[in-house]
Amino acid sequence: MLAYTLKRLLAGVITVWFIATATFIAMHQVPGDPLMNDKAVSAEIRKNLEQKYGLDKPVVEQYFIFLGNMLEGDFGISFTQQNRRVNDIIRDHFPVSATLGILAVFFAASGGILWGALTAIYRNRTPDIVIMFLVILGISVPSFVFAALGQLLLVNINSLLGQSVIPVAGWGTISHMLMPSLVLGLGTMALLTRLMRSSMLEIVNEDYIKTARAKGLSPMRIFFRHQLRNAILPVITVLGPQIAAITTGGFVVELVFAIPGLGRYFVQAVQQLDYTVIMGTTVFYGAFLVLMVIIVDVLYGFVDPRVRLQ
Amino acid sequence: MVDDKTHDRILEVENLSVEFSTYGGDVKAVRGVSFGVNRGETLAIVGESGCGKSVTVQSIMGIIPMPPGRITGGSARLNGMELLGLSAKESNKFRGVQIGMIFQDPMTSLNPTMTIGDQIAETLRVHRNKSYKEASALAVELLEKTHIPEAEKRAKQYPFEFSGGMLQRAMIAQSLACNPSVLIADEPTTALDVTIQAQILELMSELQRTENMSIILITHDLAVVAKMADEVAVMYAGQIVESGAVDDIFYHSSHPYTLGLKKAMPRNTGERKQKLMPIIGSPPDLFSPPTGCGYFARCPYAMKICETRQPENFPIVQDDDHHAMCWLQHEDAPVTKELHQNHASIDHAG
Amino acid sequence: MTDVTPTAEDFSPATSSISVEQISRPSLSYWQDAWIRLKKNTRAIISLYIVLSLAFFTLLGPIFWNVDPSLQDLNQISQAPSLPKTAVLVGQYQRWSGIVLEDFPAEPADYPDSVDAVTDLRPFELATTQQVRLVWNPVVGAAGYNIYRNQRLPENFNDLGLPLGSTYGGNEVSYEDRLSLESRPYYYAVVPTDGLDEYEVYTVIEVTPSMIITLAEASDRQLIKDANVAQTGTALKLEFHPFGTDYLGRDMLARLMQGARVSLFIGIVAPFIYVIMGIVYGGFAGYFGGTIDSLLMRFADFVVALPFLLFMILFKIAFGIGPGESGIFPMLIALVLLLWPATARLVRGQVLQIREQGYIEAARLLGAKPHYLILRHIIPNTMGVILVTLTFAVPAAIFTEAFLSFIGMGVAPPTPSWGSMCNEGVKTMLSHPHELIFPAVFISITVLAFNLLGDGLTEALDSRMRSRE
Repeated sequence: MLAYTLKRLLAGVITVWFIATATFIAMHQVPGDPLMNDKAVSAEIRKNLEQKYGLDKPVVEQYFIFLGNMLEGDFGISFTQQNRRVNDIIRDHFPVSATLGILAVFFAASGGILWGALTAIYRNRTPDIVIMFLVILGISVPSFVFAALGQLLLVNINSLLGQSVIPVAGWGTISHMLMPSLVLGLGTMALLTRLMRSSMLEIVNEDYIKTARAKGLSPMRIFFRHQLRNAILPVITVLGPQIAAITTGGFVVELVFAIPGLGRYFVQAVQQLDYTVIMGTTVFYGAFLVLMVIIVDVLYGFVDPRVRLQ
Repeated sequence: MVDDKTHDRILEVENLSVEFSTYGGDVKAVRGVSFGVNRGETLAIVGESGCGKSVTVQSIMGIIPMPPGRITGGSARLNGMELLGLSAKESNKFRGVQIGMIFQDPMTSLNPTMTIGDQIAETLRVHRNKSYKEASALAVELLEKTHIPEAEKRAKQYPFEFSGGMLQRAMIAQSLACNPSVLIADEPTTALDVTIQAQILELMSELQRTENMSIILITHDLAVVAKMADEVAVMYAGQIVESGAVDDIFYHSSHPYTLGLKKAMPRNTGERKQKLMPIIGSPPDLFSPPTGCGYFARCPYAMKICETRQPENFPIVQDDDHHAMCWLQHEDAPVTKELHQNHASIDHAG
Repeated sequence: MTDVTPTAEDFSPATSSISVEQISRPSLSYWQDAWIRLKKNTRAIISLYIVLSLAFFTLLGPIFWNVDPSLQDLNQISQAPSLPKTAVLVGQYQRWSGIVLEDFPAEPADYPDSVDAVTDLRPFELATTQQVRLVWNPVVGAAGYNIYRNQRLPENFNDLGLPLGSTYGGNEVSYEDRLSLESRPYYYAVVPTDGLDEYEVYTVIEVTPSMIITLAEASDRQLIKDANVAQTGTALKLEFHPFGTDYLGRDMLARLMQGARVSLFIGIVAPFIYVIMGIVYGGFAGYFGGTIDSLLMRFADFVVALPFLLFMILFKIAFGIGPGESGIFPMLIALVLLLWPATARLVRGQVLQIREQGYIEAARLLGAKPHYLILRHIIPNTMGVILVTLTFAVPAAIFTEAFLSFIGMGVAPPTPSWGSMCNEGVKTMLSHPHELIFPAVFISITVLAFNLLGDGLTEALDSRMRSRE
């Protein structure tokens, strides 16, 4: 298990390096540079700035300087945000995005497993039909629409109660976090519910469930000890890729709910070709996602002995 | 053989009928099956795939999925106690306690994410209120009883770390946990290779002796029947077409289907040039079972009456408790060459 | 049964002609069988109809609803869906000096503790969406009045609504409201004051302004033929907006149709191209296998690992969308370049599997050339999987387009796409929800239809595959 984890970590490092390199090349291929936005800059000032930020050096040399700094954990200084260090931007705003994302994954996974299990129990009866209808909606409605509707709902709740019980936008307290993370997790929740349902229905027909019944176990015990645990396995395997999807969706939710996450800075930086912020956030996000996927896979090993022991 | 047979019936099944509702209509999978099992003996139920063998025993255990499954009639009594139509809670008082069951494919019949020891211990914890520790220790003992080497270590392993034969031993250990008086073995050796098959059958015979338990053995393999059974019930298209003591079934085969099965079985005696004879055709559609004999379309001796009228269950008079559901056993039926018939006292042994 | 004794005749050999081995079902080709299965799936068939009507909406819609999607109707900005509206033709806006009574004191002689509510609150002339002019009788003891406007009938003194303004003088008994008026009921309230504080009495009046259109504007939009002939005060039929208008007064239905063209174009063409790319790439890798395969697949893995959003935006910048360009093609290319590996991996897996099948071996032994094997055996057998992939790729691409346009990284305005319409709609969501809801519903229905169709296809093709094993 340890060797497996180390191997995965090494592969992860290579992936992050590749992402960094590809981003670096692509970024420099795009016409323009971070200084293009300051139109009033004279040629001389521009030259000085280029020198200051090291833009006058050959691209290859810039690349190696970047790699060196990255290994030291330093992403440099933002071009467009008044000398703010990229590390500070990440430190200030990443925890917000990460909290949002992790809460969303939590909602999606717990909701997906719960609803999926329920629909399987009530197969083809009213609860199943109702939930599966909602699931189809959940898969078909874009996350930004959910975000807008969620906000509308909060506005209505607040006006109904006559006071601002749940804040409609912003960040800070638990009550700020609930609606955005729920909204962000809805699509994935729908997907996982579907997966969990089919997984549960497949497992009902497994021979070992028949064995468990022949052993005289109570339906509750069969459900929890034998069916549920095995049905969750495929749900965990798709959780890794879904985390990436939730991270991307997070940008929109941050936008709609005015959440001071990293997403906004990232989009802004790409538009302004703020080289250091692009590289910093990309590498950081890349590393975070790779790490999350590895954690999910290792976690899977703990649930499924077949993976753990091989 | 025990003399007071009828008084020592441990399990008595009468006129059991089971249907399944499917999108294509109702499948009458079991159509009025009756049989009994004596204490300490083995009853073999033989028949080809889809004849209703497994459904019969699973209905007795109450583990057919309902719906779509439905028990439409009959009774099954264990020591006089009715088993059919019990609630889940009541059923669980005999399932795994008085009747143990093992299945065809040991590879898929055990929970892949639970250790073997835990799965055996689970039965003991549920039915015998043992602590986890006690139950685990007993599980190791049970594994030893089924001749699994290094039982202590094996108990901590998962099903995927076991071979097929070892898994079937573990399944047997699990079904024996509460000392059941009846063990139902649903094709226990079909998924195993031949050498392992013999070992498993050996083990079952041994345990039957030591535990004094009855076995219902479901199989399509006549060789297994010959080795294991005291009594045999031959099933075809949801009915028992012939039943009796094992020797009577083999040497006084009184139903053309039994004869067909025998001819399809390879053997190392008799003439060398004798060919294996397949039974031509396929079983009838059980969505709408035939009004006459189910075997009519495939029977080489088919008569006019067979098409329209369900045969009676004729007793075979020379033998003790031997029955065949075939018009050829009627006293007016023509005498055939190979079949054992009441009114034509020819011994067809061999 | 047993009551009738069998006769000798009964025991004669049967002469029935029942065949023991009969094939009762007609033989069907793969696609025939799949089609029959699909037809049984009601949800998939309904989805198919939805997809077809979407195609109709997109391609033929503009013929039936020939309205310029970029034309602004400034009279009907952010109009909710409604029946055709009429407007009263009026002249240019004229200033109004209001009414100041000369025979009434501006300041009362003394300030009483309480005063009466104003009486005879009424509109001065016809209330229009251009202006609402109110007059009322003065109140003895008042030194001014506050005017409020509410969208529902006020329940008490604290529920008068939006404070519009104040007059300073007991004799200033009129007020003109020009604050974004719509043709709907308003509740105006007038409260007398002592110059600073309000007396707790109020008078309410319900006013529904009539929709108006100025002569100049009407002739501008060719609603009247000749500005000189037309009479002010006559009713004029305004443009009909069955789905309402957006925040710039553009017709929603026309924009939804044009948006459908953009969204569906990207949503169908992009998957189509990248699925073909994936087939070629994956088929190549799978057929040749070995080093070529592992090299090609490693490259595909790297493309998958690229941060999607970043590269989408970089593509957009790299293509340098100038003014007046829609940005549809850069987006299409970016989608294709970033999304092909999933199909490639799938097709490769299929080809690897099929390559090992006995019939391929048999065909090869009979001397079939590689291109024959690929075209005749391998590709036809992967078609089912590819078709299913394509049906699921369409909603994914529509989602992606909507997502990118929503965050402002997709199609450039003024070109509408459903995603960019949502982006605009979300800003006025609280006051005019229809601007968000319509494009969102269109996206959802489209995605839903394709998803259900994909489900149906998977079932239809999959069960066939299972029974073939």
